Amino acid sequence: MTQPIEQEITRSRRRPINATLIVGAVLVGVIVATAAVSLVWTPQAPMRVLSTEAYQRPNAEFWLGTDRLRRDVFTQILLGARTTLLVGIVAVGVAALIGVPLGILAAMSAGWFGQLIMRSNDILLAFPALLLAIMFAAIYGGSTQVAMVAIGIATIPSFARVTRASALSVLRTEYVTAARAAGRGPVAIAVRHVLPNVASLVIVQASVAFAIAILAEAALAYLGLGTPTGQPSWGRMLYEAQSTLRSAPHLVLIPGIAIAWSVLGFNLLGDGLRDYLDPKLEDR
Amino acid sequence: MGMKRIKTTMGLALTGAFFLTACNAGASTDGDSATGGSGSDALTVGLFAEPASLDFTTVDGAAIPQALLDNVYETLVTLDQEGNIVPALAKSYKVSDDGLTYTFQLQQDVVFSNGEDFTAADAVFSINQVKSDDWTISLKSQMDVVESAEATGDHELTVTLSEPSNAWLYSMTTRIGAMFDENGTENLAEEAIGTGPFVFDSWDRGNEIVLNRNDDYWGEEPYFNEVTLRYFNDGNAVNNAMLTGSIDLIGTVQAPESLAEFEGDDFQIIEGTTNGEIVLSFNNGRAPFDDLRVRQAARYAIDNQALMDTCWAGRGELIGSMVPPTDPWYEDRTGDYEFDTERAAALLEDADATGVDVALRLPSLPYAVACGTVVESMLEDAGFNVTVDELEFPAAWVETVFTAQDYDMSIVSHVEPRDLGNVFGNPDYYTAYGTPELQEILERADRGTVEEQTAAMQEAALMVSEDAAAEFLFLLPNLMVAEPGITGIPTNLIGESLELSNLARSE
Amino acid sequence: MILPLVRRFGVLVASVVASSLVVFAFMQVLPGNPARVALGLNASEGAVERMTTQFGLDRPLPVQYWEWASGMLTLDPGIEYISKAAIGPQIADRLLITLWLVGLAMALAVAIAIPLGVWMAVRHRHADGVVLTAASQIGVAIPAFLAGIVLISIFAVRLRWVPSDGWVAPAEDPVLFAKSVVLPTISLALVQGSVLARYVRSAVLDVLREDYLRTARAKGLTPMQALWRHGSRNAAIPVVTVMGLQLATLLVGAVVIERVFVIPGLGSLLLDSVSDRELLTVQSIVMVLVVAVLVINFIVDALYLMIDPRLKTGAR
Repeated sequence: MTQPIEQEITRSRRRPINATLIVGAVLVGVIVATAAVSLVWTPQAPMRVLSTEAYQRPNAEFWLGTDRLRRDVFTQILLGARTTLLVGIVAVGVAALIGVPLGILAAMSAGWFGQLIMRSNDILLAFPALLLAIMFAAIYGGSTQVAMVAIGIATIPSFARVTRASALSVLRTEYVTAARAAGRGPVAIAVRHVLPNVASLVIVQASVAFAIAILAEAALAYLGLGTPTGQPSWGRMLYEAQSTLRSAPHLVLIPGIAIAWSVLGFNLLGDGLRDYLDPKLEDR
Repeated sequence: MGMKRIKTTMGLALTGAFFLTACNAGASTDGDSATGGSGSDALTVGLFAEPASLDFTTVDGAAIPQALLDNVYETLVTLDQEGNIVPALAKSYKVSDDGLTYTFQLQQDVVFSNGEDFTAADAVFSINQVKSDDWTISLKSQMDVVESAEATGDHELTVTLSEPSNAWLYSMTTRIGAMFDENGTENLAEEAIGTGPFVFDSWDRGNEIVLNRNDDYWGEEPYFNEVTLRYFNDGNAVNNAMLTGSIDLIGTVQAPESLAEFEGDDFQIIEGTTNGEIVLSFNNGRAPFDDLRVRQAARYAIDNQALMDTCWAGRGELIGSMVPPTDPWYEDRTGDYEFDTERAAALLEDADATGVDVALRLPSLPYAVACGTVVESMLEDAGFNVTVDELEFPAAWVETVFTAQDYDMSIVSHVEPRDLGNVFGNPDYYTAYGTPELQEILERADRGTVEEQTAAMQEAALMVSEDAAAEFLFLLPNLMVAEPGITGIPTNLIGESLELSNLARSE
Repeated sequence: MILPLVRRFGVLVASVVASSLVVFAFMQVLPGNPARVALGLNASEGAVERMTTQFGLDRPLPVQYWEWASGMLTLDPGIEYISKAAIGPQIADRLLITLWLVGLAMALAVAIAIPLGVWMAVRHRHADGVVLTAASQIGVAIPAFLAGIVLISIFAVRLRWVPSDGWVAPAEDPVLFAKSVVLPTISLALVQGSVLARYVRSAVLDVLREDYLRTARAKGLTPMQALWRHGSRNAAIPVVTVMGLQLATLLVGAVVIERVFVIPGLGSLLLDSVSDRELLTVQSIVMVLVVAVLVINFIVDALYLMIDPRLKTGAR
């Protein structure tokens, strides 16, 4: 009974699609498309050392040149897009799947339990992603999987906070009070009323967290604690190419642009979505 | 040239002492070092991987002897640039006919940096310390063969072995043979008291170790009055430091792919050999590498020249077995398994192992990581299915590959001198090789005369090569970059130390 | 006002204790025995056991925890296993270097971000404002270490204006200090400055839309004048909050920049200690960083309480 009204409200709040959103979506779309292409086609066998010259500049046969181990850079960029998306999806997925329920739970349990959740959350917040990832990498060894899970865990608090704040305001609304009066249980209220209303903020948060995860993975690869050798990663490519920055700058520039491109894309997407979904922020 | 003829009563068992005249090609101490000992010129050397402690009696690793041995601590005998054993703190020594008794005549007027005199009692103390529980690193077992060490005069030391051993005297050139003062071992972790041409000054952890010239040195005093060893974690950063002039010398180049930047008149590039055989090791103790055909397939699958060109910029030397060219028993074994992918594939087929899964577990070291990628591709071309892991070195790699032996293949440079026996002679070692046949040959080599030792070691090298106990990728080069005026740089890195006393600057 | 502050402080203390337990537990599952790392490749089991005993690693865990935790309180967490050096003074030395870096980077970030952010907000409908806003987005997207590598290549290797690496204490040689610190500071500040500028922009935009500012402008003040007279305080509140959070990010972000520029700060010590399996040092450094973040959060909270006493309970 309450739901149609609620949706009505949400829809009327939305503003027309803005330029930031479009640019962000296009940039992210290119990354997604690149990753999708790599699933069915790569110009060369994945990560294979070829019998050709090293350090080739971009040319007809090797569109983005070859690296010092005579591997095709374009192939690595394609495969790297997949790794980048995977890192983001898993990190954000871990953070959202744990953080959102925790946030809702904290909002709905007023007493010591809610306090306990938020205090534990604060403690986790004191372990920044990079610190947690360094500790995880020391224990489980450096790998893409370890990096993305560590980044994900470190991102839980921000999801829990955003969710809790938003859930608290939803819980104060009249239709939730009405639902309570109508005898709805807490689970039903959480699923039918709270979740749909925090969704938009969580999506915005996810987009921003995605960008942070990409940067964190690159930093870990630079420290030698992220994706290991022989696996495609833009951060790893940067790390391996830095010693030939002056003799073969394209080997640094290409993955550098790819990282900046995707971070920019997700940040813009997040900003665009915020403007689109949230009424009170004009002209951002 | 500047090398003085050393009057030594050489026992028959001594290797290569007759080739002394040929030995000053690399570490010549010509030029300015003759005027050394008075100037005030400082040198900064860029090195890779800082030691965790200054105490090599309880902490293993190459970084400590690299900095301190021969510079701060000295040994009774040492190695020259050709790998021959030559006198140092012992001005001469004599071996009994049965090869059991060594009598060393020690240098007089040698003083430790704490002011104490160096006497035979200190030598006895140093040797007994290695045998005691105070030394804990595993290399101490090289002293097991010593039955007793006695001061038979103020400056005469007599060492009795329980059985003849060629390896023992050689090990006395390494950190095992370092001479300590009886009263100077209290704080080995943070302080180093020795007799060497340099005196330990300070250690700024995470940054640098500073050595000062020993103005009371018994031998020829070094040219530089201060040498700073600066530590880096990454090959690129060292190169940048060299390019910007904040260091004068790169001790070990870790990013050879960028050496091109140093070509020309602004820098000199030194390339020599080391003892570091880069080994693609197989776990001989478990399937699939317990099968000779699979091991042979892996050896045929590797194109060593292409590999070295790709992952180490073509710098290094192909060896084919576990012997560097500076050892007296070196033979070129590169022809044993010439690159042949088809043959490798056929051998795999024959062993019913085409597409076999193998775990290549690499230590996180520049050469291993770079070469591992190339090895992976070459092995896959021959029909192996390779999974690459990168394990943090040393901790995680030692735990997994070395201790638990949970691996099929790894890549590591074995840098200890004359280490064929260490690496392949023991079935419990991580290579899980150590066949009785090889052990018998090694024992023969250790007890025999020079000729017998050489013949036996050649036999051993042939055996580990033919039996494909491992694939010998190439010999790690000694790559250094220096300011053009620096002289006396050791071309070959033969022992465990980076000798600084011969370095000088000529403008 | 006082009571909530005391309560928050109680929470801070509890959080510090809880996180010390987490950190300690973490170290126990770290594979790789420090004794084995010290003894090297061919160490016998007996030698490893003796060394483990010598390091005190075979004692009951509660005893080990208590010794470490009480040591941390007196700023003396013990000595390192391998090097035998005292941990406390080492951390203090290295932290000082990192704090210099972080402090300078924060100062530079603020110096860039505030004028830039205000400009971007005031001119948000003009081309220059839009271009600057886009540029700040790109600044956020470039990894700090990449900026560092490129800066070294240009200003240290090519132009030779500054050294590529190393650290000189300011007291030792102020000129060399300034030269060696300029590139790392810029690398760190680039990203943080861009992030901060975007917060400044949105805070200023919020203020510009407030009724009192519209009134002020209607009276004939330019946006800048109106902002300066009436809005700067209100815009500062959210910006200061973000700065607190950024300080925490910078402390840890310095790890990477210290690697790039070979600076012996706390981050370098952390990475070296992890690789040497100096567990006591690792857990002490992690604890220092975690406490720093907790304290920064506490201060931000306390500032909030002072500004707005209505926020008494958990409205963060």
